[in-house]
Amino acid sequence: MGAQKTGLLRTPWFQLTLALVAVVLLVVAPLLLPIPVNQTLARIGVFAVAVLGLNVIMGYTGQVSLGQIFFLGLGAYVTAYGVENGWNIALVFLAAVVIPGVVGLIVALAAARLGGLAIAMVTIALPIIGVPLAKRLSDVTGGSQGISARFSSAPDWTGLANDQWQYYLVLAIGGISFLLVFNLVRGKYGRAFRIVKENEAVAGAMGISPYRYKVLAFTIASMVGGVSGFLYMVVVQYTSPETLAFHHSISLLAAMVVGGAGSIIGSLIGGIYYVLVPNFTNEVAPTLTSLIQGAILLLVLFILPGGIASLPRVLRRWTGRSSRSSPPASSPPEASAPSSDPSPSTPPNTSPSTSSTTPPSTASVKEDSP
Amino acid sequence: MGTFIQLVVDGLAMGSVYGAIALAIVLVNQSTGMINFAQGGMAVLSAYLAFTFLGLGLPLIVAILLSVAASFIIGALIERFLMRRFMGRAEDTQVVVTVGLLTLLTGICGWLWSYNNLQFPSLFPSSAFTFLGAAISWRSFGTFLAIAGIMVLLQLLFRQTKLGLALRAVADNRQSASFAGLPVGRLLMVGWGLAAALGAVAGALVAPRLSLTPGMLDTTLVYALAAVILGGITSPVGVVVAAWLIGVLENLAAVYVPIIGHDLKIAVPFILLFVVLLLRPQGLFGRKTVVRV
Amino acid sequence: MTLLEITDLTAHYGPVQVLHGVSLSVPERGAVGILGANGAGKTTTLRAISGAVRTGGQIRFEGQDLRGRKPNEVAALGIAHVPEGRGTLGNLTVKENLQVGAYLRKDRRRIQQDIDHLLELFPNLQERYTSNASALSGGEQQMLAVGRAYMARPKLLLLDEASLGLAPSTAKTVYDAIRVLREETGVAMLLVEQNANLAFTIVDTATVLETGRSVLSGTSAELKGRDEIRKAYLGG
Repeated sequence: MGAQKTGLLRTPWFQLTLALVAVVLLVVAPLLLPIPVNQTLARIGVFAVAVLGLNVIMGYTGQVSLGQIFFLGLGAYVTAYGVENGWNIALVFLAAVVIPGVVGLIVALAAARLGGLAIAMVTIALPIIGVPLAKRLSDVTGGSQGISARFSSAPDWTGLANDQWQYYLVLAIGGISFLLVFNLVRGKYGRAFRIVKENEAVAGAMGISPYRYKVLAFTIASMVGGVSGFLYMVVVQYTSPETLAFHHSISLLAAMVVGGAGSIIGSLIGGIYYVLVPNFTNEVAPTLTSLIQGAILLLVLFILPGGIASLPRVLRRWTGRSSRSSPPASSPPEASAPSSDPSPSTPPNTSPSTSSTTPPSTASVKEDSP
Repeated sequence: MGTFIQLVVDGLAMGSVYGAIALAIVLVNQSTGMINFAQGGMAVLSAYLAFTFLGLGLPLIVAILLSVAASFIIGALIERFLMRRFMGRAEDTQVVVTVGLLTLLTGICGWLWSYNNLQFPSLFPSSAFTFLGAAISWRSFGTFLAIAGIMVLLQLLFRQTKLGLALRAVADNRQSASFAGLPVGRLLMVGWGLAAALGAVAGALVAPRLSLTPGMLDTTLVYALAAVILGGITSPVGVVVAAWLIGVLENLAAVYVPIIGHDLKIAVPFILLFVVLLLRPQGLFGRKTVVRV
Repeated sequence: MTLLEITDLTAHYGPVQVLHGVSLSVPERGAVGILGANGAGKTTTLRAISGAVRTGGQIRFEGQDLRGRKPNEVAALGIAHVPEGRGTLGNLTVKENLQVGAYLRKDRRRIQQDIDHLLELFPNLQERYTSNASALSGGEQQMLAVGRAYMARPKLLLLDEASLGLAPSTAKTVYDAIRVLREETGVAMLLVEQNANLAFTIVDTATVLETGRSVLSGTSAELKGRDEIRKAYLGG
């Protein structure tokens, strides 16, 4: 983004080729890999989409949400219910996106009113209320037993095995979701989200209503969560109250931070982290799972706040610093021009008195009186 | 009528526990501006510590007091060596840090003491006494009294002592406080320590009822956060009143409103919250919005 | 006798160097002004003394090196800092603000005497004694900030832009009170002020900063006589 064109890695041709290779690999892979690997890859896709949704509200807009798993669960339940009742699959998908979106909208309309951390404080309740609610509404949800729905068997004309077909469904729908969100965050909405994240006062001064954009971001996050719920049913074909348990929501948040907040690639890495790391820690020491996850999360916050996605940038800055150490030395501009008249030109340090994050309003209070 | 009074007293007891955690959250927020999502997790650790002291053969009250003291130190250390590093960073980062801390603490408790339910004895007899025809349990009544007493003490600390004044000054304006000679870092540690100690009391009082597990207070944290929003984060008294209100209302709703029942009573504070949010965004008693921009 | 001696002070905010070598000294019972344009490094110099900014160079107060000390340690040596923007403790009452100012003192009875004296000097504060400081007007908050610093009974008072954002008459009231405090207590002062006319009502000598360097210093009379000072800071 803000980096210079340094070498081959950054040229558009190289990036296009890289993207093409990646797509080809993703398409060909399931034809060659064993079933469990395909299933794992599909699960990664499911949770990458869930993390992507979380990134919209949290990574890009700066509003902590501890309830993203609720929208995944809601999407999954809606999907299961629709399939059970013989709806058209397109209608099922639509419902699995729209219903979480509407619920998200209502939650955000109330929670965003308080500003700041209130969204985190309210959304933590979603999974905690969601689980008993899912148990209670047993006519619809199957109660504690849960509910299964088989609709993702491979059609005969494809000649594919079920795991391959499910993988492709996840790849297609997940891929489109990623593209849509990618466009969203690069466009004017993404810019508005970032300004709200940086400084709400500045956003307000620029005519960007923090409230409206938080609600918008939260609603989109909920809809993307619904998509991941649909995909969850494609792959897992079964959901129960456990799907939306509180600790999964925390894991999702951890996955987002470890992958990289405010990063598209980070969402994908987050999906990988979400699926693979618990598998790994469960095998090493099941009683240590939570401890290891907490430790990893804190460690990442300490040493790599931008998550794994920021690793190349950090490394580049490190190597860049050692090779380009001389130019900054000649940069101080004020050294060359000793101005005899102090009033009109603004010296380089505009706000020495306060921390660098002070909104511009305080900097302009002072005025010279020549 | 008897059932009603009983429900109210039980509700006040649980409300006191929510209130204690909520007050701990307010304490930390007022001095550092952050919301500590690990406040419940820290209280669980305290309860496990008390459980361990008990296992060493110490009397219950001594075990609890020891764990309160240990929690004060642990809270202060967490501030100094974890949270201090993230001071001045974006608030969403700080929240994630406390969520990470919650996960870590849950993991530590599960690792050291297992994820199985442990029986924690109560400070109060399990019998009941009769008042206005209602059988009121000593546990509920005692829990309520103990936490109410501690809240009065805290109020005295903040309003009547030099330490309390210093803590409030640091919460208000860290720079001015340091220019006036206040040891800001040490006071921040004291603030976190007090919050942890308060949580420890709540944890020890509620553990007999919920039975001790690493996730014992996850739900309580949610109630406490609801109380913080409802009461308004600038108002400690408001937060406690809101917590009592939540405790009583959810108990009544569980019995008298069939759609809610015992399993969904956690929804009560949030139904309340939605109504209040739409009518009075600053909370029932607070002055400003929950968090400054 | 020199109370405060600053030699060759340098400071950075991140990669940006804001002080390039500031030197000045404040004699005991003296009052020194720091003049300069917005961004010349005046506030940074005061913050450096208080230990709120890390610096290079030397800062000696009564012969001791101040560098590496924390703000509260510097305060304990007898330096009180009235920060830019007043630093009011808004949720505390006027009374409590003053008590915070006296935090390091142990002599309870004298503290109450000082509070009483201060309230005579600032009758406005007397009226608002038990209300929250955030409810005060800008001028009253500035008086409170000065009062808070006075309550520490410092040897040196650092005063940053005490006239900022105040109506001219209010600013004059504040400065009048500061002058009275100086005469009564003999406290030394180092004050930063954009409004040089106001500053010259108090200071004996002044240093002019330009982009982080001391470029000129002299007595008030000398400086007032110089054309470039008149043009830049005195409105004529």
